[in-house]
Amino acid sequence: MSALILLSVLGVVLMFMGLRGMRDKLLPVAVAGLLGALALLVAGRGLEWPVLTDGMMRFDGYALGFSRALVVFTLLLFLFAIDYYSKVRENVAEILALMIFALVGAVVMAGYTNLLVLFLAVEVMSIPLYILAGGKRDSLRSGEASIKYFLQGSFASGFFLLGIALVYGSCASFDLATVQAHAAAAGADDRLFLLGLFFTISGLAFKVAAVPFHFWSPDVYEGSPTLITAYMNTVVKTAAFAAFYRLIEHMQLPFAVHAMLLLMTACTLLLGNLVALRQTHFKRLLAYSAIAHTGFLMLALLSPGPRTPDVLYYYLVTYALATVGLFIVLTITKRASRGDEHIRTFRGMFRTAPWVAIVTMLLLLSLAGIPLTAGFLAKYRVFMLSLEAGYLWTTGLAVLMALVGIYYYVIVIREAFTPQPDALPLRVSTVNWVLISLCGIAVVLFAVMPQWLAL
Amino acid sequence: MTALLLLLIPFVTATLLMVLRPTERARGIALGSTLASLAVALVLWAGFPGGTVTDLHTAWLPSIALDFSLGHDGIGLLMLLLTSVAFPFIIGAGYGERLRHPSLVNALLLYTQCFLYGVFLAQNVVLFYIFYELSLIPVFFLLLYWGGEHRRSITVRFFIYTLLGGMALLFGIVYCLVQPGMDGSMDALGRLQLPVGTQTWLFWALFLAFAIKLPIFPFHGWQPDTYTVAPMQGVMVLAAVMLKMGLYGVVKVVLPAVPDGALYWQRTVIVLSLVGAVYAAIIALRQHDLRRLIAYSSMSHVGVMCAGLFAWNHFGLTGALFQALAHAVLVLAMLYITGALKERTGTSGMGAMGGLKLRMPRLAVLFMLVVMNGISLPLFQSFVGEWLVFNGLWEVDRWLTFMAVTTIVLGAIYMLYAYQRVMLGPDKWQLEVHDAGLRDHLVLVPLIAITLVLGAYPGPILELVDGPALTLLSLFP
Repeated sequence: MSALILLSVLGVVLMFMGLRGMRDKLLPVAVAGLLGALALLVAGRGLEWPVLTDGMMRFDGYALGFSRALVVFTLLLFLFAIDYYSKVRENVAEILALMIFALVGAVVMAGYTNLLVLFLAVEVMSIPLYILAGGKRDSLRSGEASIKYFLQGSFASGFFLLGIALVYGSCASFDLATVQAHAAAAGADDRLFLLGLFFTISGLAFKVAAVPFHFWSPDVYEGSPTLITAYMNTVVKTAAFAAFYRLIEHMQLPFAVHAMLLLMTACTLLLGNLVALRQTHFKRLLAYSAIAHTGFLMLALLSPGPRTPDVLYYYLVTYALATVGLFIVLTITKRASRGDEHIRTFRGMFRTAPWVAIVTMLLLLSLAGIPLTAGFLAKYRVFMLSLEAGYLWTTGLAVLMALVGIYYYVIVIREAFTPQPDALPLRVSTVNWVLISLCGIAVVLFAVMPQWLAL
Repeated sequence: MTALLLLLIPFVTATLLMVLRPTERARGIALGSTLASLAVALVLWAGFPGGTVTDLHTAWLPSIALDFSLGHDGIGLLMLLLTSVAFPFIIGAGYGERLRHPSLVNALLLYTQCFLYGVFLAQNVVLFYIFYELSLIPVFFLLLYWGGEHRRSITVRFFIYTLLGGMALLFGIVYCLVQPGMDGSMDALGRLQLPVGTQTWLFWALFLAFAIKLPIFPFHGWQPDTYTVAPMQGVMVLAAVMLKMGLYGVVKVVLPAVPDGALYWQRTVIVLSLVGAVYAAIIALRQHDLRRLIAYSSMSHVGVMCAGLFAWNHFGLTGALFQALAHAVLVLAMLYITGALKERTGTSGMGAMGGLKLRMPRLAVLFMLVVMNGISLPLFQSFVGEWLVFNGLWEVDRWLTFMAVTTIVLGAIYMLYAYQRVMLGPDKWQLEVHDAGLRDHLVLVPLIAITLVLGAYPGPILELVDGPALTLLSLFP
């Protein structure tokens, strides 16, 4: 709770610093503030302030773990921003402040115990993102991304709110425990509740970009500034899954809802992977691979058990580390090739920047799920969970789609390791070099020592 | 702890080669490393008491049934010896190949060796899988960087083909691991006792990976092209050692975990293997390129070995495992000769050779000895293995033996025909080539010596596989 307050204050302070024109001090202050929030979260101070929240939030180990991860992702991205916004003078304060505000929403999403708070948190997180997606004001595609995200997001929010209202109408409470108890008691007989749950889950499915609520994600991911895309792919996705699992963790899902979720999982796996096969632009490839990974995460989500939160956490963190690293690599190659995002711009990378190429390989192998990278362990644990839960066919499909995934990641690795005589020199700033090295080492380290990454 | 050295020696050497890049001395360092590994393997053999030896057991991740436990039984030791014997020759072949960036090539080869040791030492199913997949990565880069024409697409095809099996294997392994009472050790696979209905489909999930790796018909689509474009050392690794991972996997994973499934599909697999063996032998007859000929002959031999395993009797099992070693030695020698010929004539196409025995009589003799091993003449190593396999198949069905023997006949035809086209006949091309030198003798003579010694006295190797084979047979329902 104190971390939440610190983060909110940090956002306001950053806005004011922007007004005062203190451009050069922005990032140091932001990073210091995030470190402070992280310290508070690690120390676990001031967790239960029931008087203030009236029991509508609970920062238990689950929420605390995910909050730490969210703050760390933001920290990584802010360090990336040092280089990303090195030439930009204007509006940086607003962008950083909005990212902090979105982070506040994301942290609340991990710790809510009340559906109304969940709705507020989702909105607090989303509204800054609608603006951030349009961050490149002179780019049409960025504007398109913003409008698309805003329109579809508003619809999703509307349905989400409707769902919450229907659930309330059925069990006369916003409290999560009461709703879960009602699901066990009334379950499938309560049509109103069923419909409410259906809409609520659709709202969350929109945020995690599960098929058929994924239509916004490729365009928005492609059009947004890379830093924001990375933010959506890590912070937003993690928060959405944390919230999603918190909602259904102790809930005995009615058969219809369960079947719907299983179907959505299968479709997400199929569509994400198969469409990613046809992508030649790296950013768009990552967008579809994000959908594909949503599929694997949904599979874990649907297999509740004592180990599920750990698996989700492990998967999300290792996935985020790999994607942050790859988005930085994308920025580097995009600069060298003057804005080209085609994967052939990776060619000759092993010659011009061997270490970057090796890290890129590690990160891609991790996303593909090849052993001795964290991605393998993450997928392996998901398969283990889902087979324990008895989803034989869906797991079979997931395994097959993991193979498809390997194909499109390996193609990129192949490009990075294909010699190219006139390859453009890659300029890597020190901070970016450190960041991608960190990500690359982390995905191997967490594969060897996964116990370091438990909730 | 000695076994841990087998993992560490190649790994550390490879990493040093990657970092320090000693271009001139890279091959020498790598050769030294492989010889050191060979010494360690021989020490293991000398001190092998029988049964299953646990070298190391450290809990790693109990929650997902992953322990870092290394050990070996007779079969594992045989595979370790095979790997240890093969790699010095593979590195040695590099002196003739002269690939670019020798430090990188040798580092990749040594990484492969390390991961292969890992496969054969792993006593935990997940650890086994991890090493199994890892061994693919260095080979991927060997193919991608040093391969021939069209290597980009062929490499990816090879990779995906193999991983298709790998993913199925992962599914099968995870399915076994979530069963009650499974602690993740390889031994526990043999105590699974799954219902027969489950075993019949689980068999394919587990077997597919090894069927592709071997490869048996009809899962061989990746093999000929890969063998053609890969650099010689890469083919040597694939054919001499990696292929044996398939046999090892069948013996260690498939047969213990799903005995009823294996019994249910026994005929199917044997017939597929033998059909593939005959088919490959017929294709080999029509090849004009020595490397493609070796690729198909390798597939033909492997088909017979796989059939031997699935005969599931004492003859078949021991024969197939013995034959694994014999085949490794044979393929190394054949490929080395192909490389030596290419080094001299600039091609591996047999159409551009002929009458070479006049110009290189010593190499012609060595080649003849290798060919004699290849066509399984008595007193050569291959004869022992083939003979045992045929006996094993006879106990299942004599018609199967008939099919298997056909491959020997065809093998004799294509081997001798190849020899004829390369070495005999008039010296029509008038090539200025020099005869086998010291390096060629250093590689070929030991290989031929191994075939002759083990052909005359196969006891030590057969003893190794005897115990584990009996244990496997006790699973026979």
